[in-house]
Amino acid sequence: MVDLPKKKVGLISCSGEDLPEGTVSRMAVLQVLERLRPEDTVTLCLPLFLAGEERERAFARFYPTIVVDGCDMRCAARATEKYSARPAASLVISDLIAQDGLPQPQSTRQLDPAGEEVAQVVAQKLAREVDRLLGTVRPTLIDLGDQAPGGEGEPEAGAAGLKVEGEPDAVTTATCSCGSGIPVAQISINGRRVQVLALPAILEQFRELGKQVSEVTAGELMETVKLYNQVPDEEAAEWREAVLREYALHTVAAEPTSTAS
Amino acid sequence: MSEQKETDDGRVLLVPCSGIGKAFGSVGREAAYVVVEELRPEETGTVCLARLTLPDDEESRRLVGEHKTIAIDGCPKACARISIEQAGGTPSATFRVFDVFRAHKELRAQGVSDIGDNGRELARILAEEIAAKVDELLGKQSEEK
Repeated sequence: MVDLPKKKVGLISCSGEDLPEGTVSRMAVLQVLERLRPEDTVTLCLPLFLAGEERERAFARFYPTIVVDGCDMRCAARATEKYSARPAASLVISDLIAQDGLPQPQSTRQLDPAGEEVAQVVAQKLAREVDRLLGTVRPTLIDLGDQAPGGEGEPEAGAAGLKVEGEPDAVTTATCSCGSGIPVAQISINGRRVQVLALPAILEQFRELGKQVSEVTAGELMETVKLYNQVPDEEAAEWREAVLREYALHTVAAEPTSTAS
Repeated sequence: MSEQKETDDGRVLLVPCSGIGKAFGSVGREAAYVVVEELRPEETGTVCLARLTLPDDEESRRLVGEHKTIAIDGCPKACARISIEQAGGTPSATFRVFDVFRAHKELRAQGVSDIGDNGRELARILAEEIAAKVDELLGKQSEEK
């Protein structure tokens, strides 16, 4: 059975090598990817929007994406929007430091104590934003006695002294979407080529289920296609027709070739 | 890296890929810092790779146009090299972390956020190769280690 890609939140970090805030952005994003929300997040190296292929440039169209920039150049936000899609949310470390009165990190190579503190705050903000975008309700916090950093307000999941039930303790590996890519296909709608996210996987899943090429299947296909793509109402009929046509071609192409006698 | 250091003439700019999804990206990043901060602090600088991805950033185009650059890539996608080229520059040299790892397979990095002792050792070996290339590009004899 072909697994359709799970809906996750994309995280893009500027990782700016030239300033401490770039290192903070990188480490905060890694903390979310590896520890706080490993099952719900995926990342991509920012320069792959430029150097990669169409599958990589589909990243922010497929995943609701949060970008984290170190400075007000906002390279990650600008590149993501230019090459992929407008991010769902964005955060600038230098602005956050100024707004929240956080200590100023000084080290680029590795996090100093100030950088650790800022990275922790940023990671918690990102984790909450991931939950918001996915509509996830987190379990109750267990207070282990220490005060969470950040002063007033709701204690934050994963903060020092607090533990969330069910949260993984072991460090996992960040999920990078490069190479594995997002399956995309192009179909013709009203004479123009339109990119459809996840279509190859959807077609293969339906074929494996033995779905016949029919109007009923067309409706089911479109229900799934709409999970990953925005289908304009005024073009719904053309999409339905084109997707069913692609499915017919896909089923024929997948049939075993008969051996000539 | 200060702006002054970036723009000083004669410095070689190191551009690591800093790939966030692979440990080799972190090794490349660490190697760049070893060169810039320890081995050749007067002769090298760096520039944010993210900035090179911006198509309309004149300053980044000027930086890679006016300086010799070294790309340090963590994977075959070669983002650092391609980004330098897209910004109008031509890397004077390109290093791939994997090439160094292939010669030192015992030095497997631990992870992306913490490359561990093996990763740091791998980064230092790579950094020394980069420093030698910097010397070559600047017409200097490699310094005694």
